Amino acid sequence: MNMVWAVIRREYIQRVRSKWFIFATIGGPLFMIAVLFIPLYFQTRNEQAGRKIAVVDRTGVLAPRLTSALSDGGYEVETDAWSDTIVPHLTQAVTDKKLGGFLILDDSTLVSGQAVYYGESHPSTLRALTLKQAVVAAALEQQLSGRDVDAAAMLRGGTLQVHVLSAESDVTERELAIGFVGAFFLYMVILLYSVAVMRATIEEKTSRVVEVVISSMKPWHLMLGKILGVGSVGLTQMAVWAVSAGLIFSAGIPAMMAAKPEMGSLADIQSLAPGVGMLVLFLAFFLFGFFLFSSMYAAVGAMCSTDEEAQQAQLPVTLLIIVPMLFMSSVMNNPTSTMAVGMSLFPFFSPVLMFARAAGGAAPFWQVGLSFVLMALTIVAVAWVAGRIYKVGILMAGKRPTLPELIRWVREA
Amino acid sequence: MSDDGFAVRLDGLTKRFGKHTAVSRFDLEVPKGVIYGLLGPNGSGKTTTIRMIMGILHPDEGHVSLFGSDPDTTRRTKVGYLPEERGVYKKMKVLELIMFLGEIRGIGRGEARKRGLVWLERLGLPEWADKKVEDLSKGMQQKVQFISTVIHEPELLILDEPFSGLDPINQDLLEEIVMEFHEKGTTILFSTHLMDQAERICERVCLISKAHKVLDGDLREIKTAERKGVVAVEFDGPDGWLEGPEVAHVETHNSAVHLLLKEGADHQAILRRGVESGAVIRRFDLVEPRLHEIFVRHAGAAAAGDAGLPPEVVAAGGVR
Repeated sequence: MNMVWAVIRREYIQRVRSKWFIFATIGGPLFMIAVLFIPLYFQTRNEQAGRKIAVVDRTGVLAPRLTSALSDGGYEVETDAWSDTIVPHLTQAVTDKKLGGFLILDDSTLVSGQAVYYGESHPSTLRALTLKQAVVAAALEQQLSGRDVDAAAMLRGGTLQVHVLSAESDVTERELAIGFVGAFFLYMVILLYSVAVMRATIEEKTSRVVEVVISSMKPWHLMLGKILGVGSVGLTQMAVWAVSAGLIFSAGIPAMMAAKPEMGSLADIQSLAPGVGMLVLFLAFFLFGFFLFSSMYAAVGAMCSTDEEAQQAQLPVTLLIIVPMLFMSSVMNNPTSTMAVGMSLFPFFSPVLMFARAAGGAAPFWQVGLSFVLMALTIVAVAWVAGRIYKVGILMAGKRPTLPELIRWVREA
Repeated sequence: MSDDGFAVRLDGLTKRFGKHTAVSRFDLEVPKGVIYGLLGPNGSGKTTTIRMIMGILHPDEGHVSLFGSDPDTTRRTKVGYLPEERGVYKKMKVLELIMFLGEIRGIGRGEARKRGLVWLERLGLPEWADKKVEDLSKGMQQKVQFISTVIHEPELLILDEPFSGLDPINQDLLEEIVMEFHEKGTTILFSTHLMDQAERICERVCLISKAHKVLDGDLREIKTAERKGVVAVEFDGPDGWLEGPEVAHVETHNSAVHLLLKEGADHQAILRRGVESGAVIRRFDLVEPRLHEIFVRHAGAAAAGDAGLPPEVVAAGGVR
């Protein structure tokens, strides 16, 4: 067992020390921050220029409502009375950068929600939407006044409170989104690290180190050490990612929201933060999925002598992990259907599909548990077969074996 | 099985690749403490034999035993193996590589580190300990690989063409170290196609040609037995008389011409022919044959011709 430790340690240290690992581990969170914040930042920055807006209300009734609505949205509002010279006057103010723009409301506003906006440049999508909604809400509330209508809420599209009457667990959209994102991420890391095992195996073969190593230890021990070593590298990387994501969600986003209340969409991102339970589930599915696929990829690596050969030989294995991705949306559209349950219990599909369903709250506990049992049994079987292919293949030079040859390897090894 | 006094024992070892037989019914007994040379031209089956001993190839027939017991359990701690096709983890640091290879053969990291540093010093690479292996020259990499072969102080060293690819100075250094191991009682089995070197350091040799064993035994005994086989001649005048039914091969060695005689040939007949031809013969001497000449006598000139190939060819050629 000391040998296995030595292999694990070597694999781990070599990888963690490599430039790529450091780049990806630190770059990942930075990339995430960039994707989340840069668009928001630019949007907000554009909006900073001229948040002062003038409202010219020719109806005489809309200004108070509109003013309060816009103030809530972070705008500074001044109201001006209508006159023939007001348009050139305000235009001058905009040109002088004293004003971000101005709105003119008239009778058609009350009837059809039409308003006129003058600005130095085209308003951002966000600004246009805010202004439009504020105007329409003000007009509606004015027209329905006295009937106590929350026009703003209605304009947002209302809400549908759902009560599920059967015993099935309740699935919210937010949970489904987490399931989707998490399963996709899971698919990526399992594939990434399993393929790393394959590449390491091929490299060992082509560089001929394997002759020396195998003369000192059993092939099975080498394979085990490789898988555990690469797996711990994966865990390390994910730990770094999880901690930085935790920091972003628990400290970064709240701080940003406090500093810039106008970045309202931050709250949507915040709501996607996974809980601890979710992380544990993710980790468990990663480990099982990784053991399952990495042993298959190790066998593929042992069969091949070059990366090009491996490209082709890995196809059947890669399909096993891609297929569930293809079925993901249909499974998630109806996560409690028989097909969804069946497919997510299939051990090779479980890491992606069962995780997605479990994270979406659509899989009862017994199904998740059963999928782990099935995966564990499959891992034992797959590792047994893969270990035999690996044992013969790792010392084999020359062309890739055919299927009958492979079967012979497994039988005779 | 128990210890039978032999470090390596091969019984009827046979390996076929498709229709080609690489090693055929090969027997070998390497007594403990002996330095044994496995000699033969490229493609004669040396490397295949060694790979079967190391468990890298599975013999089609026959049996390997190391120290009288199952090779799979003995190999790890008792054997040091230097493969013909050198292989190292290129991205690793030199000392770490040595430590890793020591560790998988059962010595502790601290001990492996200590020994590694001593060896690097000995082989003139102390300042390379923390450099990556890929930054080293081929020759230096080979030295590092040698260190990793002996780091666990094995009882049996199996070296496949250990001297190829090294310059003469380092060949001498390596030879010196190999002889030190020999003096300490380590059994050494090594393959080479450099007959002169084998002649200098081996106690016992085994000559292989085309998958078959040609000669096997104590080098001195072989030489004595072959004593009648080679005549050194120095002469002036015509040289046509050198060729004849008794002579297998003629070659120039230093100032003399060496005639390799066929089995049971009468050297007197050659001398008579020389005198009759009018040549002035200054020397006609039965000499101790060189290993190379013994090999030629037994395996034929064509086989021996291959044996003289320079190391570059060996490295590039697919020796099976």
